[in-house]
Amino acid sequence: MRKSLMALGSLLMLGGVASAQQVAFEEYDLDNGMHVILHQDKTAPVIITSVMYHVGSKDENPERTGFAHFFEHLLFEGTENIERGEWFKIVTANGGNNNANTSDDRTYYYEVFPSNNLELAIWMESERLMHPVINQIGVDTQNEVVKEEKRLRVDNQPYGNLIAEVKRNMFVNHPYRWATIGSMDHLDAATLEEFRAFNKKYYVPNNAVLVIAGDLDIDQTKKWVNQYFAPIPKGAPVNRKTFDEKPITQTLRATYEDPNIQLPMVVASYRTPSMKTREARVLDMISTILSDGKSSRMYKKIVDDKKMALQMGAFNYSQEDYGLYIVYGIPMQGFTSEDLIKEADEEIVKLQKELISEKEFEKLKNIYESNYVNSNSSVEGIASNLATYYMLYGDVNLINTEIDIYRSITREEIRDVAKKYLNPNQRLILDYVPAKDKAQN
Amino acid sequence: MKKVIYILAGLFLTITMQAQDRQMPKPGPAPTVNVGKPETFTLKNGLKVLVVENHKLPRVSYTLTMDNAPYAEGSKKGVADMVSALMGSGTTTMSKDAFNEEVDFLGANINFWAEGASANGLSKYSKRIMELMADGALNPKFTQEEFDKQKAQIIEALKSDEKSVPAVASRVTDVLVYGKSHPKGEYLSEETLNNVTLADVKANYNTYFVPEKAYLVIVGDVKVKDVKKQVKKLFEDWTPNTAPNISYSDPKDVQYTQINFVDMPNAVQSEISVVNVVNLKMTDKEYFAALLANQILGGGGEGRLFLNLREAHAWTYGAYSSIGSGKYVTSFSASTSVRNAVTDSAITEILNEVKKMRNDLVSAEDLKNAKAKYIGNFVMQMEKPSTVANYALRTQTQNLPEDFYENYIKNINAVTPEDVRNAAKKFFLADKARIVVVGKAADVLAGLESTKLPIFYFDKWGQKTDKPVVNKPVPAGVTSKTVMADYIKAIGGEKAVSAVKSLSLSASGSVQGMRLEVSKKVSIDNKLVESMSVMGQGGKRVFNGTTGYQTGQGQKMDLEADEIAELKKYAYPIPELKLKDDANLKISGIETINGSEAYAITDGERTMYYDVKTSLKVAKSESVEGPNGQMVLVTPYSDYRDVKGIKIPFKTALNIGIEVELTVNEAKINEGVTDADFQ
Repeated sequence: MRKSLMALGSLLMLGGVASAQQVAFEEYDLDNGMHVILHQDKTAPVIITSVMYHVGSKDENPERTGFAHFFEHLLFEGTENIERGEWFKIVTANGGNNNANTSDDRTYYYEVFPSNNLELAIWMESERLMHPVINQIGVDTQNEVVKEEKRLRVDNQPYGNLIAEVKRNMFVNHPYRWATIGSMDHLDAATLEEFRAFNKKYYVPNNAVLVIAGDLDIDQTKKWVNQYFAPIPKGAPVNRKTFDEKPITQTLRATYEDPNIQLPMVVASYRTPSMKTREARVLDMISTILSDGKSSRMYKKIVDDKKMALQMGAFNYSQEDYGLYIVYGIPMQGFTSEDLIKEADEEIVKLQKELISEKEFEKLKNIYESNYVNSNSSVEGIASNLATYYMLYGDVNLINTEIDIYRSITREEIRDVAKKYLNPNQRLILDYVPAKDKAQN
Repeated sequence: MKKVIYILAGLFLTITMQAQDRQMPKPGPAPTVNVGKPETFTLKNGLKVLVVENHKLPRVSYTLTMDNAPYAEGSKKGVADMVSALMGSGTTTMSKDAFNEEVDFLGANINFWAEGASANGLSKYSKRIMELMADGALNPKFTQEEFDKQKAQIIEALKSDEKSVPAVASRVTDVLVYGKSHPKGEYLSEETLNNVTLADVKANYNTYFVPEKAYLVIVGDVKVKDVKKQVKKLFEDWTPNTAPNISYSDPKDVQYTQINFVDMPNAVQSEISVVNVVNLKMTDKEYFAALLANQILGGGGEGRLFLNLREAHAWTYGAYSSIGSGKYVTSFSASTSVRNAVTDSAITEILNEVKKMRNDLVSAEDLKNAKAKYIGNFVMQMEKPSTVANYALRTQTQNLPEDFYENYIKNINAVTPEDVRNAAKKFFLADKARIVVVGKAADVLAGLESTKLPIFYFDKWGQKTDKPVVNKPVPAGVTSKTVMADYIKAIGGEKAVSAVKSLSLSASGSVQGMRLEVSKKVSIDNKLVESMSVMGQGGKRVFNGTTGYQTGQGQKMDLEADEIAELKKYAYPIPELKLKDDANLKISGIETINGSEAYAITDGERTMYYDVKTSLKVAKSESVEGPNGQMVLVTPYSDYRDVKGIKIPFKTALNIGIEVELTVNEAKINEGVTDADFQ
């Protein structure tokens, strides 16, 4: 059992900004490989119990995309001791709430309860991992639900396919190339055996982290964790392939037609390094400078002053293996996509050539300080951060130290990272346009 | 050998133990919730300050509220809305831009409204944030320029709600329940807003933005000692004053259960609310039982209304109930939106569920689950430091006993099934309920009548009106042909109408603050061009008598067969000239359009309405496939004006998701149209 105790840290602190923030936690492994992180916070009798599994859409078979997200639905269908349809009833009848979500990198499940139901929550999550019932009724039901979800969130949503389309063009080898929600044809074609095999491969304790945060007694909690999770057998080690992408050296061009939109959008997307790198954090700051708020550079110039675009923005889409830096805009009548790209490029060139002003730099730091404080303001936020920093960043303590990385970024680095990653020959230009057969006056 | 048995026994033991271990755990003893108390102090001018020190995170929040009595504004309804809209746009010492820039720089948020303000941000800027908030709250600048801008925006928003069935339902329900002159019953309209002046805004601010009943709540990483000093410095000079306290007589419930119906011909769903007046103070002995009764009836996805109307019958996406409480009068409401065809059945089921709550005891399990949900929410609220402050504030403003929140869980747990039934009997008035239904009379009225409940009719503003005419029988001899002939006569006569070779119209309206331009040219040889643009974006549709195309967003495509078929019939300056001889058109009845009777002539998915008295065309409706299913788009026509001897409607509307009112700027007959237009 690996142990590390962070609790001391907070006892030694005497005040000031940093101490007010320190999130104390304790972590260890069960014999079956399950990693456990406990964070005690007795300010309120609330407890969150969550499990993050290191499985996302990037782990899928290219012929069976959508599995990871499908499981996020399937694993609420019931277990050997929780009958089908009972999961949500148990949660509500005990005064709690619950949810789950899936990304390209991982799947996350959680329950929030008044603290007297901690044992119940641990039991429910252990049930889900130990022996979920995966049968045809459940698969058929969730197949319909997932299709409704896709209609609602993707197909019926203006610009709903934007990220999927950017990913499809930006990645050739890497499984980031398909959409998280996956292909409905793949899901229709999948057999019950395939779902069971996926569960056996990825839903194993050695591929998961259990985080319990809130008003808990450490010893009692460990006892329950041991009681309910230790009997779950260890699974085969999960071997992850690595997929490398060749650098983009010549501008890529693509067009996509969306029937739900009236106004075309132009997108410039650059491939960036893993979110674990310092450079990815510099890119976060760059997107804040360019388009966060009405006084940001791109917004103020292109939307407010020159009125060339209805909307203009930039964001850093960070993921475990690679990131994407995405600039997008909707031109006003009389202006073209090229005009917007030209204006956006001017702002990027300015970042590459000139240091940002001291005043703007200070504003940037204020914004990051504020974001950081708010990200740990609820036990739910803390639990999700602990799980993510452990599983995807490989360093739980980042929950306390990541802000130091942002604080240490210099104006020169902002300039240099812009120079390194944000060049015209390193990107995709995507014209995201209204579908022809639906255009109307 | 022995060894093996031991191992087997051990194995057996583990297995049975494990099986036992996997039973669903029972909850531990309910957590004791420690509701802290804030530090409080009062300034000489009456401002009460509540401070909750919480150093967990380096941030702070300020909330300033005024516990003034509600008041009615009558013919000037909208003054307070204007105060809310104008506050925060600069102070006597800082311009609006400078103010906003500094707030952004600090990474903070600051908001203002008619009787309050709020701010939050990092505690290292706590001083400056409080200064900015105090400046905005106590030294606001009200300018005519900003007044005009904000007023135009509010009017714009009101317009976009004009045809909204839920918006009308909410307004009419309040008017009917509380009465039009009650603070909770009066409503904002363009008419009342036009009576408001900048002087009214200033007077309202001076009258109501006063410290006597004001509370400043401060939560976060600050020291009471420092805060006290700063609050004194910033708020001490706030002129002491008390807001007026006018009392209003309580609204009365109806004498017997009845339907109050509002006809909206564009409705595809009926809005139903079963409502009655409620007086429920938080200190009343039935308070907790009433909350639980409401929770069981319609508190959420586990509520009986939801389970009945959505899960069992699939009539709706949701059905809920709510009950207000507090020191002022409020209401109970059980409401839903259902498709037209099931309106009367939904009412019957809602009433059944309400009656069940009043007559039968709830099951132990239902009550247990409702309690668990309330207690769970209460407990989980305690995570937020602001909860302590909110509870302390409510303890003061609602005159609660000091231990109200300490005993909250105990009091919830003490509620019995009998208490729930008694609360339901007292607060859910099945026999004196007002059932407000806003929907399409033509589709739902027959069903409503079959319920045998008395029905009273109201307009969109809650005024009593006559029963809408629904498919009233058409007098003998009136046919599609005679209606159209009368229309032609009314707009100028067949001779003058036949002489119209071309018609050219340009119209404009405004949508979300942007100007919308529409133009249409149409000729007697069945050619048409129409175009629309907003802020330069737009497109057009062209038809040359046999084929055509449509453009938009840089795309061009040919018209499809069904469009061409329609244009062949309707692309004429006055299509009725030909349509009157079309045997496919049927007169389907007499309906009420904007309060007047009109003949309805249908042609497939399209219906045209001609006023019975004036013979003028007053509307057109089309059924189209929208993003949320079938929708009815209604285009009204009014304000007929003479153009070269022909009467042309100068007011109409365009449906592009929302309805945009259009005013014709220019109408030309037999001029301004050439063949080149249709290429």
